[in-house]
Amino acid sequence: MATCEVKADVTGSVWKIVTAIGQKVDAGDTIMIVESMKMEIPVIAEEGGTIREFRIAEGDSVAEGQTVAILET
Amino acid sequence: MTSTRSPHTVSVDTALAEYETRRRRALAMGDAAKLARRSEAGILNARERIAYLCDDGSFVESGLFGTSASNPDDRDKTPADGKIAGFGRIDGRDLAIAANDFTVMGASSSATNGRKLGHLKRVATARGLPMVFLGESSGARMPDHMGARGMATLLGNDPTQYQRMRETPWASATLGMSFGSSTWYAVLSDFNVMRKGAVLAVSSPLLASLAIREDVDAEQLGGASLHGEVTGFADLVVDTDEQALDAIRRFLDYLPSHCMEAPPRRLAPAGSGDDMASIASLLPASRTQVYDVRRIVRAIVDRDSLFELKARFGKAIVTALARLDGRTVGIIASNPLVKGGAIDADACDKVTSFIVLCDSFNVPLVMLVDTPGFAIGTDAERKRVPGKIMNWMNALQLVTVPKISIILRKTYGQAYLNMGGGRNSDEVAAWPTAEISFMDPQFGVRVVHGKTPNDEGFDELFARMDRDSAVWDAASAYAVQSVIRPQDTRDYLIRTLDVHRMRMTNGIGQHLLRAWPTSY
Repeated sequence: MATCEVKADVTGSVWKIVTAIGQKVDAGDTIMIVESMKMEIPVIAEEGGTIREFRIAEGDSVAEGQTVAILET
Repeated sequence: MTSTRSPHTVSVDTALAEYETRRRRALAMGDAAKLARRSEAGILNARERIAYLCDDGSFVESGLFGTSASNPDDRDKTPADGKIAGFGRIDGRDLAIAANDFTVMGASSSATNGRKLGHLKRVATARGLPMVFLGESSGARMPDHMGARGMATLLGNDPTQYQRMRETPWASATLGMSFGSSTWYAVLSDFNVMRKGAVLAVSSPLLASLAIREDVDAEQLGGASLHGEVTGFADLVVDTDEQALDAIRRFLDYLPSHCMEAPPRRLAPAGSGDDMASIASLLPASRTQVYDVRRIVRAIVDRDSLFELKARFGKAIVTALARLDGRTVGIIASNPLVKGGAIDADACDKVTSFIVLCDSFNVPLVMLVDTPGFAIGTDAERKRVPGKIMNWMNALQLVTVPKISIILRKTYGQAYLNMGGGRNSDEVAAWPTAEISFMDPQFGVRVVHGKTPNDEGFDELFARMDRDSAVWDAASAYAVQSVIRPQDTRDYLIRTLDVHRMRMTNGIGQHLLRAWPTSY
């Protein structure tokens, strides 16, 4: 099964992970929320799939372009 | 009696027959097998592209009988010398067109087709015609350009070849392998649409591998994803040739034919403004939540008139041509959906190039503001954001078309100025939801009072700073001229743009940005 990397599009900190390992998501669904510039910015699944892995935890810092989750597509 | 008839004289019938033979040969373009392969792949040939783009029967060709002048052996193999040039009409409006014919020596550049393009551009500039480039090209023709003689005779003989003064709009479509001149004209243009599968690069993967031993495929080197998302050299990415040509027709429809006339006005379609009553519901209740500003823009502008440029590049700001009551406007809108609306290096470049486009062709600017500020941090600094912020400011302050700025929600710090705050617009309006300050109050309490959210007294200080950020003090000081209800935004813009119509010059600006570098 193919996998796809989900990347943060902004530098900030992970405020809330709103999905769980094994959860199915559709393209456009919010996987987690990054706080940056005092805004809550969703990290969105670009394609549908099942969440296999999180590469970060709530409270972690993330950089723009960093992989935060792996989806099985 | 001795005949005085010249041995070269031919009868009219013979001359006409030769004309027909030569005409047929020129119109047949290049190798039949190559043409057939394109057709099977659903890719139009150069003449089909011109026919699709122009009104029926409007195309007048210039240089049908041109062929290679550099190499006599190539004369019979170079119909139209691989670049078809002429003048056509779109919806009755005249324009100049150069369509590269890749089936003729890869539409490579050489002496005759260089003269054709030069003539076309001179006529377009002198007579006020938009210029359209339908590009695919293997680059400079070999061996014509090789050696000192090739360089001396073929390159550098036109000192205006790559000059842009924006006398008329240029639109380009990148529709195949594009190296050399068709790449140059694409990035010099005001609009470039790219078909998926096309490639735009300085030179081919082969040359890249020979010169620097870089093993890349063409898509990586210059594909539509790269230029749609990373370089911004594609204003729009489409699936087919037909969609690309439709996009050129649409882009030009918003603009005047030249810089000395106002953009054409169209009738506003029925249903325009129908969604205004519920527009406030598109703004989230929480000041920290994001939303897609394009829904707000679509509600404000004339129905189906939004034409977004560079939608996948510098996405924290939306740039789009649109119409308000039938008149063309340029929209610059923060998009909180991406990076919370924080403006990064790419967004800066995108806005500046859009300001140049609008100011050069007499299109008023409308800014919709909801930004927490410029992207900060090491990545932004490495991408030279300070210079880009000032380029944008310089461009904005040189604008002579009307500028209207509407603050929807946040506007902080330097971004307040870049998005038209203060005297950087002709009018500043704000929704009652607007917040204006130097930085977000949460950061402000930390910087001014040294307190963080868990410290005693933080909440009170935050509440005060938050209250002080409300729009009313700015309206009181007349830095915001109008506070408007969200549902009145369309009517306000139509009325205010009418107030600011450039009556003294019949809608023509001063075009102080006309020579601004095109590709940032």
